Amino acid sequence: MQFAKFLLFRLLTYVLVVWISITIIFFVPRFVPGSPVEAVLGRLMSQGTTMDPKLVQSMRETLTQLFGLEGTLWEQYSSFLTRVLLTWDFGPSLANYPTPVSVLIARALPWSLGLMLTALLISWTLGNFIGLLAGYHNKSTTSKAIETAAMIVYPIPYYILALLLVILFAYIWPIFPFVFQVSGEPGSWQWMKSVAYNSFLPLMSIVMVSLGWWIISMKAMAIDTKEEDFVQYARYRGVEDNKVMVGYVARTAILPQITVLALSIGGVFGGSLITEILFGYPGVGTLIYRAILGSDYNLILGTVSLSIVAVATATLILDIVYPFIDPRIRYK
Amino acid sequence: MNYRQWLIAVLVVFSLVVSACAAPAAPATESGDGSSAAPAGEMTFVGTPRNETLILDNLNGSLERPENFNPYTPGVEMGRGYHEICLDNLWDIDTVTGDQFPALAAEMPTPLNDDYTSFEIKLREGIYWDDGVEFTSDDVIFTLQTWMDTETLAIHGWAVDYIAGFEAVDKYTVRLDTTRSQPRLSKDLGVTIWDNRFYPMAKHIWESQDPTTFEYFPPVCIGQYKFSKTDPNGNWTLWELRDDWERTSVGQITEKSGPKYILWNFVGTEEKRILAMIANDVDILQDITPESMEVLTQRSDVVRAWHAGFPYADFDDPCERGISFNNSEFPYDQWQVRWALALATDIKNVSLGTFAGMLRVSPLGVPPVAAVQNVYHKPLVERLQAMTLPDGYAPFDPNFALDMAKIFQEQGVGGDLPTTDAELIDLFGVGWWKYDTEQAAKLLEDVGFTRNADGKWLLPDGTPWSISINAPSDFEVQSGRLAYAVADSWSKFGIDASVKPMTANTFWTEQATGQFEAGSYWPGCAIGADIYPNLSGWHQKFIVPTGEPAPGNVNRHASDKIAAIMDELEKVTSDDPRNVELSSDLLMQMAQEMHWIPMFGTSKFVPVNETYFTNYPTADNYYEGPWWWWSNFKFIAANIQPKQ
Repeated sequence: MQFAKFLLFRLLTYVLVVWISITIIFFVPRFVPGSPVEAVLGRLMSQGTTMDPKLVQSMRETLTQLFGLEGTLWEQYSSFLTRVLLTWDFGPSLANYPTPVSVLIARALPWSLGLMLTALLISWTLGNFIGLLAGYHNKSTTSKAIETAAMIVYPIPYYILALLLVILFAYIWPIFPFVFQVSGEPGSWQWMKSVAYNSFLPLMSIVMVSLGWWIISMKAMAIDTKEEDFVQYARYRGVEDNKVMVGYVARTAILPQITVLALSIGGVFGGSLITEILFGYPGVGTLIYRAILGSDYNLILGTVSLSIVAVATATLILDIVYPFIDPRIRYK
Repeated sequence: MNYRQWLIAVLVVFSLVVSACAAPAAPATESGDGSSAAPAGEMTFVGTPRNETLILDNLNGSLERPENFNPYTPGVEMGRGYHEICLDNLWDIDTVTGDQFPALAAEMPTPLNDDYTSFEIKLREGIYWDDGVEFTSDDVIFTLQTWMDTETLAIHGWAVDYIAGFEAVDKYTVRLDTTRSQPRLSKDLGVTIWDNRFYPMAKHIWESQDPTTFEYFPPVCIGQYKFSKTDPNGNWTLWELRDDWERTSVGQITEKSGPKYILWNFVGTEEKRILAMIANDVDILQDITPESMEVLTQRSDVVRAWHAGFPYADFDDPCERGISFNNSEFPYDQWQVRWALALATDIKNVSLGTFAGMLRVSPLGVPPVAAVQNVYHKPLVERLQAMTLPDGYAPFDPNFALDMAKIFQEQGVGGDLPTTDAELIDLFGVGWWKYDTEQAAKLLEDVGFTRNADGKWLLPDGTPWSISINAPSDFEVQSGRLAYAVADSWSKFGIDASVKPMTANTFWTEQATGQFEAGSYWPGCAIGADIYPNLSGWHQKFIVPTGEPAPGNVNRHASDKIAAIMDELEKVTSDDPRNVELSSDLLMQMAQEMHWIPMFGTSKFVPVNETYFTNYPTADNYYEGPWWWWSNFKFIAANIQPKQ
């Protein structure tokens, strides 16, 4: 009963959060100076195309109609809500008209998920593992060296680190490509090799910047946990050192890391803008960025709604399953 | 196993993963790198021989929907080889002379009556689409009919306003009637600068499709190249020379073809594009900064810009940069204020601050492109020198070019500059307005402006005068820098001037709606002697209130005199001798009213890499301008040869 009440409350909160967030995302771009129609016209005129004023006016009227921007804001919002609630259809991308938003997201999302999830899992696993070892043996020289290395890498601005990787491994020692260029039929062995090869630098750059945080945070928690009474007690009982480290310290220290991991998984759906721009990697981050630049209302709504739902869902799932992970937590 | 052993194990595994992942990089065919001249047999990453593949920088970045080739949809990307070498136009532009020439058409349109409302368009015979179907008047008629019938096409409204009727006279002749006099039909339906709006539709492909949503993938080309493949992730598009390239306009006109393959590839940020060119992975780069050009010249001996030495850049881009105002809003609605701001602009410092002085100046509202400068700027110098403001002040200073040359000599970078005055004027322009802050102050004081104790300018009501200049933040670097340089100049004069960097969308929206004070825009484009089509939007009949998007005259400059000259110009044909005469009057009137503050032509470095290909157009080999992103690139491509 307690669980049912908790679940109902959380589901209601979930729906409310998603609805409010999507509503905000609907209105905010429309209040920002800039219109998708002027973006299209500006793109043409900036190239020096001779535009007869009559043509400009005609294009402006047609595009406003095509893009569904006629009517009051409230009318647009009602139509949007009906469409999205009933069919989860965000309509055509305005900057890529007539391509539907769903097609663009379906193309970009697997790339973002593939890269970000892999990077997240590698850095989380490796970072926590190294952090645990370094924290459990925190007096050793190796531990201090690891912490120093992590402290050096962690604050390096991501752009600089990524550019450094490009200069080192695509220019000075050119073993990786400048830009993401996948070859082969999708699904073929050649394609998979090509994806792995092309994704390596972007992956490395993300792992390197995020690894430091996982190491430092896990190390700090491992140091705290290993001084806890129950850990000392286990030692006094003669439990093997490695078992204390894994079974007692790691199991306790890992809990906050799981929380952050779950939230990070939700964030993966938003892609990684700088990585995508710097490496020419096709992902959701670039989609969002370009959608904002071009006032592509529908694409902004589609991509950001996806991120909102992903983060809200990750939080919901975490809230529900956390008591199973940490028995000290109870549903209320 | 203790923790040290664990750590070592982890590091070993990590190293193995790195090595394994890097393994596919070994063949150079995949990475496409080559820090020195290409060995024979080297392949590109798309599987074509490198020495047969011309690689261009993809100016507009990666594409979200690379499969869309419908030129009539707002979301199409024309500039990745599509309009350059796959599509073609009835009339294209010679970028050296600024004159149009027939491409798909066999000749320029023939007027059938004296009031220019009926025309005969002869098509070139023997032109074929790349699927083997002949291009005929049926395709032209089908295209026009689609425009007229499809209300959801953006061109529809313009078409029904412009076109009265049409018919196929025979297989290669079309008769077109217009709703009113149109003495410039070829300008309206042909290329004037970058491209134009008439993209012929292959009737046999399009007739069963909805033109609003059809993606036209793969495209059937009418240029000398055919579509080969495109990256599903939108980074590159490969085009292949047609076996029957002689059956295209380029083939018939030039009797040349071009490289076997042309690849448009997006490498990424400017740093990566520069690295890629140094590594010979790109043959033609498009827009870069002077600093990047410096890096290229230092790091590569096979890369050159338009000029082999200083000032490197080509100054003939047909759009002019400067500062626009909303001339319908106080205080910019007063000519005295606009003139005061022009005279308070230290143009030489602005040139140096914008592009290190690598700019050609222009006091007129059309760019100082060689073909335009020879027709207008140079012949009008005498009138500019004689021009006075109402108080008798003569504002023109013809010494800009010579002064800049002197500055460069003092800086030690002028070794490559020409030596004669005439050549220097050709290069740096005919002159500009004087930098005269005293006269600027006088003009402001005449309309009630005052200065406070700190020397800062106050509006007539006594409040501080501040100017916010709209500037592009992440594109069009020259205009972005120009805004800062001008703001600096005006700040020294005592105006609280600042720059408002903005994204393209906001930048254009504020211009269209007039919701700006000042902006680093470029409302003056032209390439040939007939400047009316480019300037027709300045007519006051297009002015709408601030807040509403304007169809033209975004500066909202009202002038009976300008309107009267434009009304006359509208009636004359491109080749009518009165055209240049009236256009000259128009430009002088615009200068007198300071409708905006034109400053410089656009400089483009457009570097090329001569490792694999040669005979690029350059200042020493000026058969075309270096406009790789225009529709007429197909004619440039025909001249580019593989290096032996």
